[in-house]
Amino acid sequence: MTTDATQNLLEVRNVTKRFPGVIALKDINLSLQKGEVLALIGENGAGKSTLMKILAGVQEPDDGQILLDNKPVKVDSCKKATDLGIALIHQELNLADNLDVGANIYLGREPRILGLINKSKIYRDAQQYLDMVGLDIKPDTLVHTLPIGQQQMIEIAKALSQNARVLIMDEPTSSLSNKETEALFQVVKSLRSRGVSIIYISHRLGEVKELADRVTVFRDGQNAGDLAREQINHDAMVRLMVGRDISQFYSRQPHTPGKTIFQVKNLVTSTWPAHPLNFSVKAGQIVGVAGLVGAGRTEMLQTVFGVDAPVSGQILVDGKPTSFASPLDAINAGIALVPEDRKQAGLVLQMTVRQNIGLPGLRRNKTALLFRNQSREDADTIDMIDKLNIKTPHPDQIVQFLSGGNQQKVVLGKWLALQPKILLLDEPTRGIDVGAKQEIYQLMETLAAQGVAILFVSSEMEEILGMSDTTLVMHEGRIAGQLNRDQLSEEAVMFLATGQANAA
Amino acid sequence: MSTDYSLNLNSFFRLLARYVSPKVIGILILLILIVGYLAITEPDKFLLGANIQNLLRRTALFGILGIGVAFVIITSGIDLSIGSIVGLCGVLLALFLTVNYAAVDQADVIALKGRQSQVYVQPTAAFKPGDLIRYDRGRRAEDAILTVKSVKESEFETKKKGALPATLVTFDKKLLADDTYGRIAKTYKVLSFKNTPDQTSKATLVIQGAHNNLAPKDRVELNNEDGLKDIRIISASVDGDKTTLKLDEELGDDFNDKWMAVPIKRKQRMTILSAVGWVALIALALGIIHGLLVTKVNLQPFVVTLCGLLFYRGISRWLVDDQPQGFGSEFDETLRPLATGKFVLTTNPDGTSALAIPYPFFILLGVAILAAIFLNKTVYGRYIQALGRNEEAARYSGINTKRVTIVAYVICTLLGALGGILFALESNSISPSEQGNFFELYAIAAAVLGGCSLRGGEGGIFGVVIGTALMQTLNNLINLKGISDTLEFAIIGAVILIGVIADELLRRIVAKRRAVAQANADAIIIEKPPERPENPPE
Repeated sequence: MTTDATQNLLEVRNVTKRFPGVIALKDINLSLQKGEVLALIGENGAGKSTLMKILAGVQEPDDGQILLDNKPVKVDSCKKATDLGIALIHQELNLADNLDVGANIYLGREPRILGLINKSKIYRDAQQYLDMVGLDIKPDTLVHTLPIGQQQMIEIAKALSQNARVLIMDEPTSSLSNKETEALFQVVKSLRSRGVSIIYISHRLGEVKELADRVTVFRDGQNAGDLAREQINHDAMVRLMVGRDISQFYSRQPHTPGKTIFQVKNLVTSTWPAHPLNFSVKAGQIVGVAGLVGAGRTEMLQTVFGVDAPVSGQILVDGKPTSFASPLDAINAGIALVPEDRKQAGLVLQMTVRQNIGLPGLRRNKTALLFRNQSREDADTIDMIDKLNIKTPHPDQIVQFLSGGNQQKVVLGKWLALQPKILLLDEPTRGIDVGAKQEIYQLMETLAAQGVAILFVSSEMEEILGMSDTTLVMHEGRIAGQLNRDQLSEEAVMFLATGQANAA
Repeated sequence: MSTDYSLNLNSFFRLLARYVSPKVIGILILLILIVGYLAITEPDKFLLGANIQNLLRRTALFGILGIGVAFVIITSGIDLSIGSIVGLCGVLLALFLTVNYAAVDQADVIALKGRQSQVYVQPTAAFKPGDLIRYDRGRRAEDAILTVKSVKESEFETKKKGALPATLVTFDKKLLADDTYGRIAKTYKVLSFKNTPDQTSKATLVIQGAHNNLAPKDRVELNNEDGLKDIRIISASVDGDKTTLKLDEELGDDFNDKWMAVPIKRKQRMTILSAVGWVALIALALGIIHGLLVTKVNLQPFVVTLCGLLFYRGISRWLVDDQPQGFGSEFDETLRPLATGKFVLTTNPDGTSALAIPYPFFILLGVAILAAIFLNKTVYGRYIQALGRNEEAARYSGINTKRVTIVAYVICTLLGALGGILFALESNSISPSEQGNFFELYAIAAAVLGGCSLRGGEGGIFGVVIGTALMQTLNNLINLKGISDTLEFAIIGAVILIGVIADELLRRIVAKRRAVAQANADAIIIEKPPERPENPPE
């Protein structure tokens, strides 16, 4: 592989894209060689998505050039992008999950015999691409029966079947388990060795470190710098992304927790009925819950919060047994949950910042005859926008149009306005940029200092290591172990999370 | 990059969009255009007091249904049963308010004893020897009046059921073969009468007997061998063994004191209040059932209410044997004005009302204001909007989404019942198989036209009222312009389609403006990363 510029498969030269009132991309340059994995990183709003849309033919640049094989090309439609061999694997999957795998791979360009779909050819050809992405399934399997990780592989297989030379992957691991992520990495590596070039967009710097041959960093719509393979490390990437050093990224201060205010005794969830859960959280304590995806962490939080009914067990708040038949009961007991899926469960996306922040408190703040307390809602909203530094042009902005980090702050805001005693966080920093992440960490720190008991589930090891006073590690529905700060290490967590403690 | 939100055009647009959706403004303009067009081209017909009144009345009645279904649509549900609810509630109201008239003392003849002057009657009647009796609306011959000789408790042998208790009444005259069946009632002599009207009554009649139980609205049946009169009593006063009746009609020239009087008692099955109460209670129960089936059994709203549509229609027809129901003129002064009455603003020289607002329009206004307050100002209203958009997020926010959904279905059937009552009172002829047919589609169409999205979470009360008014005005246009009314559905369908298409186009324009506003907002943030945008003035 040569780094000679003439060998560039794809090159973006001085691309500028303006939206009314804002310059989304300014003189952006990017190059991609054959068989290279280029990681593209940057905070949300840095312009990554805009560039990807330009490459995929969704939007056209105002200025600049795109060169493919050193020849300028005009990517003015999605079809043109496909024809040129550029494929975008979306963050949200675009599969018709009621159809089978083969039908999805050939959707819209089905081979035909006498006007009828030639199924046997579809299945025969599809198999070859499934093999390429290492999927051991039959092409006549219905898509909805497959786990999300395999569905993503089908998207990749589909791109390959269209002779894609450039694969753009936008946050491909955001909804994958560790095992699926591992499988995806294998596929990415094997595609690279076949000469497919990949632009890999991710917030997960650990993945970038493992996969990338080169890293390009965007900041505020401009090139912030490139890192060659040997320069790729966590600090360097963060420094380029945020434009400053984050010496104290995780800011957990030493402190003395208060008395136990939240206790779970022999709680049995319907998902893992064989394993009763026991743990407690003290006031001012931050307890991390680590584990692999599917270990039962989310189910545990949902049961504690009354979303799912527990099979049996006890929940004690301030030493008093309580039972939660619904989230309302949990909220009344002073518990708040920031759910994993903020778009589905955390927010009403089409409502405004104000309406979302006000939602859980409506009942509590109501005036006579069930009337809403508008002034209280206004005050809470202003207060939360201020405290959480929510970047919104005005309180009546529809939350859908906010960035991921700001949406997450709105979710936090709606709960903090109720001043909970116990805060449950499920993947609180998933899919949000580094700057917002740090703000959320600081907020957790501040809340803990005020005596709030915090229980947070995270799949990011650094977050667990950096933020938790005590870590619960779950494995297949059990709490496999509890690690205090002095016992906490990546190895110890993985040891428990992979069930080795059990096997031993 | 000004933050002066009070002055720029965007904020004006935002303000307008906050209170009234652009779609509503669109159909409001369309409504004004059609009204203007009709007022100019057909001033004689369109601006006629009766036409305007009728238009307002129909808008009011359908508007109430539309507001009801809007609540369900905002929860992202649907209610197809409204038309049948209208039919059922109309039938039930008529049933509950059934009025019967029967002679005060009467009994059914079940058999003649031989060919004698004796009959078996049921039930046991309070006849005494010496009472005068006549066959109810039966013979008018001179010897039609019978005198009771004796009354004896007895038994009557039937072939199927054996002996049944019956009263054996013996008369002074021999009975005819025709007298085997029928009903006998006590009749009284007319003592005197005055055929002159006074302030309250048209005539005065004094009859024998102390009829303490006669009250206003009861009637008196008067017979002689030639004729029969049936007159409403305005008041009755007892004086010893005679009763003075004030009557609602003149007795006529042919009347004399040879006529005999049968006092008739009016029996109403329920009081107006309890009849309306029962209808409301039944509607409430149906709404709760709809809501429970949708939320707890997890059935699709379309299916649940489709079954309701069929079920209630069938029950309505079965209840009254498919016979049309009505109120006659029984409630013309009490309940019916609610639907048929009007508030007169100006009168013509000939005394007819030139401009009047029908009472149902005030009911609509009341319902609309309450509904708008409920939807926009109360906790439950916000819950309905939130769960219509994203039920899961609403549930995670501690909202009892099932209960809120049930409330929406209850509001819908209750307003359906209110509409049903008003429609029944207005038409006064309720065909159980026809009353309310397709009304659910009118209501849903008005809601959609008025800004509700079947995806849920969208829509307002004002829009629904305007949507209803537009549909009714279109209907009026079809009538006034002499367009074949077979085209009615086609025209309404086309207008709704155009409305929805226009809405989609508008929605895109709004989305574009929003994107621009968003880009501007982002620019503020991007240009000054360390600072937050100032809080806009509230």
